[in-house]
Amino acid sequence: MSGVTENLKSSQEPNKERQDPDSSDTPDEEKKDDRIFECNICLDTAKDAVVSMCGHLFCWPCLHQWLETRPNRQVCPVCKASISKEKVVPLYGRGSSKQEDPREKVPPRPAGQRTEPEPGSAFSGFGFADNGFHMSFGIGAFPFGFFTSTFNFGDARPTAAARGTQQHMEEQFLSKIFLWMAILFVAWLLLA
Amino acid sequence: MANIAAQRIKREFKEVIKSEEVAKCAIRVELLNDCYTELRGEIAGPPDTPYEGGTFVLDIKVPETYPFNPPKVKFLTKIWHPNISSVTGAICLDILKDQWAAAMTLRTVLLSLQALLSAAEPDDPQDAVVAKQYKENNEMFQITARHWTNVYAGGPNVNKDCDDKIKTLADMGVEEHQARVALSSYDWELQRATEQLFS
Ligand SMILES: [Zn+2]
Ligand SMILES: [Zn+2]
Repeated sequence: MSGVTENLKSSQEPNKERQDPDSSDTPDEEKKDDRIFECNICLDTAKDAVVSMCGHLFCWPCLHQWLETRPNRQVCPVCKASISKEKVVPLYGRGSSKQEDPREKVPPRPAGQRTEPEPGSAFSGFGFADNGFHMSFGIGAFPFGFFTSTFNFGDARPTAAARGTQQHMEEQFLSKIFLWMAILFVAWLLLA
Repeated sequence: MANIAAQRIKREFKEVIKSEEVAKCAIRVELLNDCYTELRGEIAGPPDTPYEGGTFVLDIKVPETYPFNPPKVKFLTKIWHPNISSVTGAICLDILKDQWAAAMTLRTVLLSLQALLSAAEPDDPQDAVVAKQYKENNEMFQITARHWTNVYAGGPNVNKDCDDKIKTLADMGVEEHQARVALSSYDWELQRATEQLFS
């Protein structure tokens, strides 16, 4: 996986070099096209791009540092409209984002907000099964309620996560944690 | 991260060089060192002002935290203006202080300073003496500012009356600039200026 990324990077390197505005042989026309995607703070092509509500483009690290520099005067560096961390929209361009998750970087970039479409009637069943799963925690016979609900949960799933996938591993991990919690809970009940 | 300052000045420097204002000789920037921390700016005195025809040189220092904090700018050319100290060249301009925005550039700073020369703000003065004259005796302010532009910024308007009065004081052993400051501060009244100088 990392090998592929490495290859991609190196194959893009000469291309990047050519587009660098510092190199004198770049035609002006090409530069103008690039400029509209430049961060308004570092004047470089925006990395981890975000857009303010007033429509101005920045690198997230650049905007973050600007907001940190003036905590009591949160304004757009371009038009001085008031802005806030919560109200910037991240831009996910095609091919622009690297494989790594930008949120793992410091400072984390705010996530995009998307509303799920209204669930159709065919899906409502799963919704209920999901609720049942959460509700069973409240019942007194906790360990038993738990086991039944896990099995119910597993059955209710339209397609169980395939063995070895990330999801499968996570589920395994979670059930182990819940199992141990249940055992500890019973032990505590017996000892008390 | 400190590298962003040098990187940006590099780009801005190119932007200024290619700007139409440079083509019209209205503004100019020059690098003083390789690390892009010290620059020399130049603005032309705007038309229809006492500064017309003069060239004003600015000292620009770029902080390590640029562009999150503004550059430190002051006039090297002596100038008579309510918002610029006639002694130190320090500038009172909001965008160089709390109204700075990270998207502003050397070009916008120089153009803002040029705009400041066209429209002084005497109610937010840097030089109290100049501001007082601007408000109370504007005609005298115009004469003084034009004279300073002629002497220090290469402006074309020679004022014989001012030059004669300075010569009178110089003959009495007063240093020329000191004589000019005294006369400027006392609305070119030779008597009061002399009193102040010898008191
Ligand atoms: Zn940036
Ligand atoms: Zn804006």
